[in-house]
Amino acid sequence: MDGGKVTLGRTAGLYAGAAVLRLALFTLFPGLPELLTGRVEISTPVTSFKRLQEGLFLYNHNVSPYDGGVYHQAPLFLPLFSLLPSFASWPIFTYLLYIAVDLLGAAALGKIADSGEAGSSALFQSPRREKRWSGFVIAAVFLFNPFTIATCIGRSTSVFTTCAILHAIAKAVSGAPFSAMVALSFGAYLSMYPLLLLPPLLLLCYDRQRPERAMPSGLRFAATNVCVVVSVLGVLFPMSYLITGSWEFLPATYGVQLTLSDLTPNIGLWWYFFIEMFDSFRSFFLAVFWLHLSCYVGGLTIRIRRQPLVVLTLLLGIFAIFKPYPSISDSSLFLALVPLYRHVFPLMRYTFVIAAIIIYTTFLGPAFYHLWIYAGSGNANFFYAITLVWGLGQSLLVCDLTFAVLRDEWEVERPEMVGKEIRQI
Amino acid sequence: MRQLLSFLLLLFVSLCRASSSPSSPDAPDYHEQLVLRPLPLSSLLASFNFRTNITLSAFEAHNFRYFPRSLAQILQHAGTRELHLRFSLGRWDAESWGARPWDGAREGGTGVELWAWLEADTDQEADQKWRTLTNALSGLFCASLNFIDGTRTTRPVTSFQPEGNLPNSKLANTHLLYGVLPHEVVCTENLTPFLKLLPCKGKAGIATLLDGHKLFDASWQSMAIDVRPVCPADGECVLQMEQTIDMVLDIERSKRPRDNPIPRPPPGHELKCDTSKSYHSDDTCFPAEYNADQDWSISQIFGRTMKGTCPLADPSVPSVCLQIPDSRSVYTSDGTTENKNPDKLSRCFDITPSSDFELWLPLPSSPSAPEVVTPDTPLLYAERSFTGHGQERGGMQTILRNPSPTSPVEFIYMESLPWFMRIYLHTIQARIEGNASVPSSSLIHEVYYRPAVDRARATQLEVRMRIPPRSTVFLTYDFEKSILRYTEYPPDANRGFDVAAAVITILGEGRKRYALRTTSLLCSLPTPDFSMPYNVIIFTSTAIALAFGGMFNILVRRFVAADEGPEMTLTTVKGRLAGLAARLRGGRA
Repeated sequence: MDGGKVTLGRTAGLYAGAAVLRLALFTLFPGLPELLTGRVEISTPVTSFKRLQEGLFLYNHNVSPYDGGVYHQAPLFLPLFSLLPSFASWPIFTYLLYIAVDLLGAAALGKIADSGEAGSSALFQSPRREKRWSGFVIAAVFLFNPFTIATCIGRSTSVFTTCAILHAIAKAVSGAPFSAMVALSFGAYLSMYPLLLLPPLLLLCYDRQRPERAMPSGLRFAATNVCVVVSVLGVLFPMSYLITGSWEFLPATYGVQLTLSDLTPNIGLWWYFFIEMFDSFRSFFLAVFWLHLSCYVGGLTIRIRRQPLVVLTLLLGIFAIFKPYPSISDSSLFLALVPLYRHVFPLMRYTFVIAAIIIYTTFLGPAFYHLWIYAGSGNANFFYAITLVWGLGQSLLVCDLTFAVLRDEWEVERPEMVGKEIRQI
Repeated sequence: MRQLLSFLLLLFVSLCRASSSPSSPDAPDYHEQLVLRPLPLSSLLASFNFRTNITLSAFEAHNFRYFPRSLAQILQHAGTRELHLRFSLGRWDAESWGARPWDGAREGGTGVELWAWLEADTDQEADQKWRTLTNALSGLFCASLNFIDGTRTTRPVTSFQPEGNLPNSKLANTHLLYGVLPHEVVCTENLTPFLKLLPCKGKAGIATLLDGHKLFDASWQSMAIDVRPVCPADGECVLQMEQTIDMVLDIERSKRPRDNPIPRPPPGHELKCDTSKSYHSDDTCFPAEYNADQDWSISQIFGRTMKGTCPLADPSVPSVCLQIPDSRSVYTSDGTTENKNPDKLSRCFDITPSSDFELWLPLPSSPSAPEVVTPDTPLLYAERSFTGHGQERGGMQTILRNPSPTSPVEFIYMESLPWFMRIYLHTIQARIEGNASVPSSSLIHEVYYRPAVDRARATQLEVRMRIPPRSTVFLTYDFEKSILRYTEYPPDANRGFDVAAAVITILGEGRKRYALRTTSLLCSLPTPDFSMPYNVIIFTSTAIALAFGGMFNILVRRFVAADEGPEMTLTTVKGRLAGLAARLRGGRA
C-alpha cells in the first residue's frame, strides 16, 4: 500500500519532470522548435509540422490541401489542429498537445513493462525474467531519450502514430483486444505501416485474452478482430472523405509512401536509392523494397510464436530502418521497447559496437548533412554513407536482440548450456 | 432565266469583292515604324513596330495577303483567338531608364513567354490545342517551345486580359494558357524566322537595321508577336498582328567597329577628361561622366544604313521617329524631310523610298541644353531576390516601391514557379516601410493560389495588392527545394534552375493596364552524385542483404553447443573434395 503510493508519486514526478523539460525547451529556446522541425532526421515529408501548417492553411482557406505536392498527412489532423487555437498566436496549446501525447505514450509503455509480458508470455517463461526494469524506468528511458525529446520539440506528427502503437500493445497486454485493434487502426490510418503489426498483435491479444470472455477458436478470434480493424478503418476513411470532400487524400497520403514520389533526404535507405535508380527499374525496386519490408512479418511471427511482444519490438526496429520515410521518431519507439528485454541483455554480443555506431552516426549525420547542403564541401554521398551506417547499426541491434531472445528460449530446453559457447548450424 | 440569275449573282459577288478588297487605299493593312529614343547613361532605346491587319473573313477564306501564312495556319489549326509570344533577354534598368516602352505590354521575362486564348469546350481539349500550338510554334521559331508542358503551363485568373475584342459569346469557351521557359537562350535563330514573317522579309525598310550581332548584344531586348482580333466600332472585325522589337543599346559598346570588337584602352588623346578638376593637366586625366556627350549615327549603332522603305508599307505613317528635344540638331541623308512634333520632344522623318537612309545625331550645340528627353517615372519599382542560404530551403523576397507622392498603386503580382520549389503559402507576408499609418495586414487584398503537383503541375500564385503612396513593401514567403531523380537534372545541374520572372500587372484607370516583370532567378537545388547509380544500388542492396541475411540465419538455423554437431574443418573439406573427385572419375570410367 505504502510502496504503491510512493511509486505513484514517483511516476507523477517523472511525468511532471518530462513535461517541464519539454515546456522549458519550447519556451526558453524559441528558435529550437523551428530548427528541429527543419531537420531531415526528424521531419519527413509525411510527418513534417511545417507541411502540416501549410495543409491547415490551405484547408482553412478552402483550397484542397491534397491538390498539391506539399501535404501528405492524414486528413483527420486538419480538423484536430483547426480546433486548437491558431498556432501563430497561441503556440502553447500545440506544445501542450504534443507533450500530452508523449506522456500518454509513456504511460502505455509503463503498463506494458509492468505487465511483465516481455519476460513471461502466455506460452513462455524466461528463466531470467526476474531481472527486469520497472515501468517507471522504462518510461523514464523513453521520456528522456534525446530522440523522443527532439521528435516532440520538432512537432513531428509521428508522435501520434507512436502513441497509437504503444496503446495498441498496452491494451493487447491487458487483455482488451477490441481497444487494441481500434488503437492499431488509428496508427494504420495515420501512417499506414502499423497495419503490418496486425498478425503479431492478434497473437498477443489471443494469448492474453481474459479467461471470462476467452474465445477458444483462434480463427474466429482473428476474424472478429480483423473485422474490428476493417470497420474502424471503414469509419475513418469515409470521415476523411467528408472532411476533405474527395478521395484525393488516398493517393496523397498512402500513395506517396507507396511510390516515394517525394525524394527529400531522410535517415532511411530509400531516398538515395530511388534518386539514383534507372527509370525503367523504379517500379520493380519499389515492389521489391515493400516486399522486403513486409516479408519479416510472417517469418518472425511464426518463428517467435511464443513471444508476440518480441515480434512486435523486432518489427518496429525493422520498420525504423526499412520504411520509406523513417525518422528518429521511429528509432525512438524501437529504443523505447528494447529496455523491456533487460533480462536478455547479457546474451547480446555486440552491445558496444551498436552503442558506438548509434552515437557515431547521431553526431556525424547532421555534420555531413551540413557539409553537403550548406557548406558545399561534401556531396550527397557523405550523408548517404551515414544513413547506411545508421541502418546497419540498427539492423545489427535487431539481429542481436533476435539472437538473444532465441538463445534465451533455447536455454529452457538446454539448461546446461547457460554461459557456454554456442553456434548455429 | 436561270442563266440570267446566275450572271446577276456573279456580278453581285464580284462587286462585293471589289468593294471589300483590302488593297483599297483607304484601308492600308501594313505599316512599320522605328522610334529611337536616347536614354540617360549613354543608352539608346530602339523600338521597331510592324503591324499587319487582315479581315476575319479573308482570314477564314485563307486569303492571307501580308499576314504570314505559316503563322496563320498554325493559329487556325490550334483554334487560337489571341496569341502573345515574347523572346527577351537582359534587364530593363528602371532606375535610370524610367518607365517601360509600350507600358510594358510588349515585353516578356528573360527567356520565352507565351500566352494565348484558345477556343475549346473542355480543359482537356484546351491542353491538347495548347500542345499543338507550342509544338508548331517551336518549329516555326526554332525555340524549345515544345518544352512548355504541363509543368510549365498555368492558367492565370486575373493577371491577363484579352487585348483584342473577343465577342462575349466566344469568350465563354476560350481558355487562357500561359507558359514560360526562363532557361531558353534567345538568339539569332529566333530572329531569322521573326523577320521572315514580315512582308518585306527584312530586305527593305526599317527591318534592314535588325542584325543579330547588334540585337543580341543589347543591354535589354524583347521581341514580341501579338495576334488579336480587333473590332472597330464601324466596319468589319480584323485580325491584327503586331511584331515588336525593343532594344536598349549601349552607345559606347555599339560604336565599337565590327572588325575590331575587342575593347582596348583608348590612346591618351582620345580620352574624355573632366577639365574642371583642379589637377587636370596634360598627363593627368579624370574620366568625364560616362553618359556625357552622346553622338552617334545609325550606321555606327546598327552597323549598316537603312535601305529605303518597305514598298508595301503604308506611306502615311513615318518610318523613323526620333525622340529628342527640339533644341538638338540632327543630320540626315539627302531627300529626307524632318517633321517636328508640336510637343517639342520628338520628330519624324519622311524617307525617300528607294535610297539609303542615314541619320547622324551630333553633340549638343550648347552644354546647357537638355541632351535627352527625361524619362517618365515608372508607376512601380519591383525587385525580386532569394533570401537564405543552403540548398535545402530558402525564401523569396520582392521589394515593391511606389514612387508616387500622392496616388496609391494597385496591382496583381503573379508568380509561376516550377514544382520543385515547394512554396509554403502560410508564410506569405507583406511588410510595409515608409508609411506607418497603413497596417501591413491590409496590403494583400486577394490571393489566388494553385499549388504545384510533383512532376505534373507548376505553382501558380496571384496576389492582388495595393501600396499606399511613397512607400515600400516587402513581399516574402518561404519555400523548400526538393531533390530530384538524377535523370531529371539538366547536364549543368550545379548551375541551378531558372525561375521565371514575376509578372506585375498594374491596374490603371478603367481597363488600362501596365505590366512590368522582375528579373528571372537562378535556384540551386541539392544534387546527388551523378557518377554513382551503380555504386548506390550495390551499397544499399548490400546493406539490405546484410540485415536480411543476418535475420534469416538467426531465425532458421539451429542452436548447438560449440563442440556439438558436424565439424567443418579443413580435413573434412579435403575429404569431401576427394570423395567428389573419386566419384567423378568413377563415373567417367
